[in-house]
Formats: sequence, C-alpha cells, structure tokens
Amino acid sequence: MKYPVFVQALALTIVVLIVGLYAGMSLEGSKLDNMNDYYIQSEVTLMDILAFNNLIDTEDVGCETLVKVNLDFMNRAYEEASVLEEYEESGRLKENLDTFHKKYDVLRTFLWINVLKTKEVCEDTEIHTIVYLYNYEEEDLTKKATQNVWSKVLLDVKEEKGDSLFLIPIARDSELGSLEALISEYDIGNYPAIIVNEEYVVTENVTKKNILSLLE
Amino acid sequence: MADFLTGVYLVYSFVGFYFMFLFILIYVQNRKKITSVPKMTKKYPISMVITCYKEGDSVGKAIDNLVNNGYDNLKKIVVVDDCSPDNSFDIIKKYEKKYPGLVMAVQTPKNTGCAAGAKNYGSKFVDTELIGFTDGDSYPEKGALQSVMGFFDDKKVGAVTSTVLVKNRNNLLLRIQAIEYIVIKFTRKLLEFIGSIYVTPGPLAIYRRSAFEKIGRFDERNLTEDIEITWRMLYNGYDVKMSVPSKVYSIAPDKFKPWFRQRVRWNKGGIQCIFKYAKTFGKKGMLGVFVLPFFVFSWLLGVFGLFILLYRIVKSLIVRFLLTTYSVDAHTAILRMEEISLNPSILTFIGLVLLVVSVTYSLIALFSIREKAHHKKPTILTFIIFEFFYLLMYPIILVKSAWELGRGRKTWN
Repeated sequence: MKYPVFVQALALTIVVLIVGLYAGMSLEGSKLDNMNDYYIQSEVTLMDILAFNNLIDTEDVGCETLVKVNLDFMNRAYEEASVLEEYEESGRLKENLDTFHKKYDVLRTFLWINVLKTKEVCEDTEIHTIVYLYNYEEEDLTKKATQNVWSKVLLDVKEEKGDSLFLIPIARDSELGSLEALISEYDIGNYPAIIVNEEYVVTENVTKKNILSLLE
Repeated sequence: MADFLTGVYLVYSFVGFYFMFLFILIYVQNRKKITSVPKMTKKYPISMVITCYKEGDSVGKAIDNLVNNGYDNLKKIVVVDDCSPDNSFDIIKKYEKKYPGLVMAVQTPKNTGCAAGAKNYGSKFVDTELIGFTDGDSYPEKGALQSVMGFFDDKKVGAVTSTVLVKNRNNLLLRIQAIEYIVIKFTRKLLEFIGSIYVTPGPLAIYRRSAFEKIGRFDERNLTEDIEITWRMLYNGYDVKMSVPSKVYSIAPDKFKPWFRQRVRWNKGGIQCIFKYAKTFGKKGMLGVFVLPFFVFSWLLGVFGLFILLYRIVKSLIVRFLLTTYSVDAHTAILRMEEISLNPSILTFIGLVLLVVSVTYSLIALFSIREKAHHKKPTILTFIIFEFFYLLMYPIILVKSAWELGRGRKTWN
C-alpha cells in the first residue's frame, strides 16, 4: 500500500472509539446496577408498609406511624425517580431505563392504593392526595412543556402543604392494569391530568392557587 | 429521535477522530521533513505574473518586493491589469520604466471578470521553464522563489505551492484569519506526504510551464482557478509539492462582508470542482481516492451537521419559550434547581476528547510556524475565538455557496 497511514489512522480511530464506547457502556451499566439496588430497597420498604397495613387493626400501630411510613416511602420513591430521570437523560448507549420507570410506576400505584386504605382506616387524620397522571413517552412539545410546568406547580403545592399531602406522579402510559382500573372510574379524556383527593380531576388552569383551593 | 441523533453523533465522532488521527500520524511520521526543501541544483529561469484589479495602492509595492526577492534568474515580471477603473495601469507603466527589461506592463483587451482570465492573459508573455503567479496585494518573502527550485528537479512535479500568511493583522477578524491561514498551510503541507495537495493558492504558486500549458492553463469558468488547476495537475498525473520556507504575506479581508463573500466564492469554486471531477471518484490516483471524497464528505457532513445543530437549537428555543410562557401563566418558577442536571453522557466525553485532539492539532500547527518578530503573534483569546466560534461559520458558508450556485450565480463577486 502506498500510504499505510490511512489504515493506521483507521485502526487508531476504531481502537479509541471502541475503548470510549466500552467505557461508556460500563458507566451506564453501573448506573443500571445502582438503580437496581435502589429499587430493591424500595421494594423492601413497600413490603414493610404492606405489613404495617395488616397490623393496623391491632392496638400496637397507630395512624400517625402508618402515615409516616407512607410519607417516607413516597419521598424515597420521589428521590429515586429523580435519580432515574437524570440517568435517563445521560444514557445513550445501553437499552434505556424504561423498565425501571415502569417498576417505579408500579410502586407508586401501590402507594396510591395504600394511601387510599390508610385514608379509610385513619378517618380522623388529615391526609390529602394528589395523583399526577402524565405521559412518559410524550412527543408533543407543547404537552411536554405543560407537563414540566404542572410538575413544578405541584411541587410548590407540596412545599406549602407539607406532610399532610401525598403527591404521587405516575406515568399513565406505563400500561399497568392496576392503574388503568384505578383511573377508569374518573373518565379522564385528556392527559396530563391531576386527581385531587379522589374527588376532582383537573386538566386545565393548573395554578398553585387553584389546586390549593381544591384541597381546602 | 434520540437514538437517531446518537447514531449521527457517533458517525461524526468517527469521521472527526479519523481525520484528526490521520493528520496527527502524518505529522508524527514526517515532522522532520516538514520545513525541509530539496537542495537547489539548478537555477531554473522563471517569470512571474502579477495580476491586478483595482490594486493601485498595493501593486507598486508588490512589484518592488518581487524585484528584490533575491532570486537572480528571475527573467521577467509580467504585470497584468484587468482593465481596472482606477489608475492601476498608469502605476504599472511607471514601474515598467523603473525596471526596464524586467517588468512588463500589459492590460487585458477587456475586463475578464476573474483572476483566471488575467493570469492566462499574462502567461502568454512568458517563455521561461517555470512560471509563477502572485497577486497585486501579495508579498513573497525574500528567498521565497529560491526555496521552491529544488522541487522541480523531479520531472513529475508540476506545481509547487508556498506558505501563505496574513500580512495585515490589525483587527480581530484579521488576527483570526492569521491563525486560520497557519492551520491551513500546516494541513496543506501534511497533505503533500499523501500526494493530496488540493490547492496552489494565488498569492504564490510556481508551475512547470510545459505542464501548465499541456493541461490547458487556468479554467476561466471556475471561481477558484487555483483549486481547479491543482486538481487538473493531479488528474494528469503530476505531483504537487509545498515549500514551507517560501512564505508569502497576503492582504486578507478586514471586514465581515468581504470576508464572507470571499469564503462563499472559495466554496462555490470547490463545489464546481466537485461536479467537474465527479467521474474520477475512486479513480485517478489520490485525486479520486482522497481529495475528491474528502471535499464531498466535508461538504455533506458540514451541511447535514448544520441542519442537525439548527434543529436542536430551534427545538430547544421552542421548549424554552413554551416553558417560560406556561410558567408565567401558572405563576410558578421558570427554572427550579432540581431541573439542572450535571450528569454528562458518554457522548459528552467523546466530544470533549475530540475537542482536545482538535485543539492540540491547531496548537501544533501554530507552533510549527516561525515568523519574524514584527508579525503579530496570535493571542490565547484569538485562538479560543477561532477554535470555538469562527470554525462554526464554515457550514453556513457551505450552505450559502450551494444556494448561490443552485441559483446560477457564478460571478467573481
């Protein structure tokens, strides 16, 4: 060959890119492992809450404790979902983290069901729920922006109401049978949608003031 | 869409790394030969052609400079005025009297409208073994002609190009171009080692007259006759070399508009060459194997990359606009701390490595040049602007050039 430098450059490029891609895949793989660890811990917490539910009829466990463990679980799931979101944004090479997202949606659906039970058992305790149903695979830029703004508004509401409010965001397009069954009775036509205290369905005019007024 | 974009980024990274490594390897393997030139064994007789159009202010100095170049077998300096509307021809006539028997003042019968026309006209008055071309606003450094002579001992050599540098460096645009010219000249020399020099720039190029005439002189329909004639040299089996010690200082455009027009013209000429030589793709030695594919892929990747960049910018602006509007309507914060993510992806790292390699290459190019103390040296700030902003203009120029060519605009200005 007259100019072997062409092949040498090609070989060097392939080596550098393979090393780079391997490092990238390893990095993303380690993130998946992290998520798996988080998820296992969350599952354990959820099982613990379910066990608590079974103990509620006994004298040993009060509503205060039950609400607290549910809140702790909600906060934990929220923080882990935030980490998951960051990983999703930076993940490029490996299979994306859709499955984890679904798993967390299952956990949060469980949480919603559990909070509903807790509400029934602890009638005297002030418990509010806001379930935020959004589309995970949203391509429409206006709807994407709407979802982003609504989640900020709901965080504002959560900051105002503190521990009396359970804020549960769930991707409604996760194709979860339990979730579909839960929301079917609300007859929601448009998403994103917000279910306040299982009474009101909000699909427009979402402001902190409006949501707070529905919680009164 | 994200997967498609990831694929696009990887393809761009591959191409970017490949060419960076190609040039760096060529440099590493040939670094001791970069500034060396073959020893002059014969003082080839040479005639120089200076073309001039509305360059009355500078052409006199250009003639003086060439006369005092120090090469004692310079037989003739043909100064061609392309029917300038100013007093250029009167000035040239004065210099003809100043240097009798050496300087010859000629004027084209009518304005040719392109440098190639004036060059071809001037070449008719030359009968020496070598013929050189320079512009009315270019100044070859002393010894520049002598340094190229040794290359012509090899009968396959049809043309020798030189180191073109920016003479005027008194504003930011000019200082950036000074860096650009240095990087271009460095790259051009590296291309010599793979037989792929693709241009013999107008400020100073020397041709073997027999080759120059055999291939049919400059193509007057091409906007960059200096690129086209080099491709034709390669097409006809001639070698093209570069003499790094032969420096020529040229006046670069000092304002944005003329700079942009010049670059559009260069690119239009390049595209014209692509179409003219399209059939040699993969054939005719390094012209079809490297030069032509290099031009074609640079153009395609540049334009496609620009559209991808525009798509991302427009999408991001729309999203930001919607978020701001909706946030204001909903009386909530436009941006929360939770939204700021500093979790880089693997593509960010690959991009950063590519950037480092690219900056390293430009720095090697900058440190490869030895200039006299009175020429302003590039500053770090100018280098940063060149590397991170100026180069981004290239794809825009490509699109504009294609647009103008598509609309049939093939004039010099």
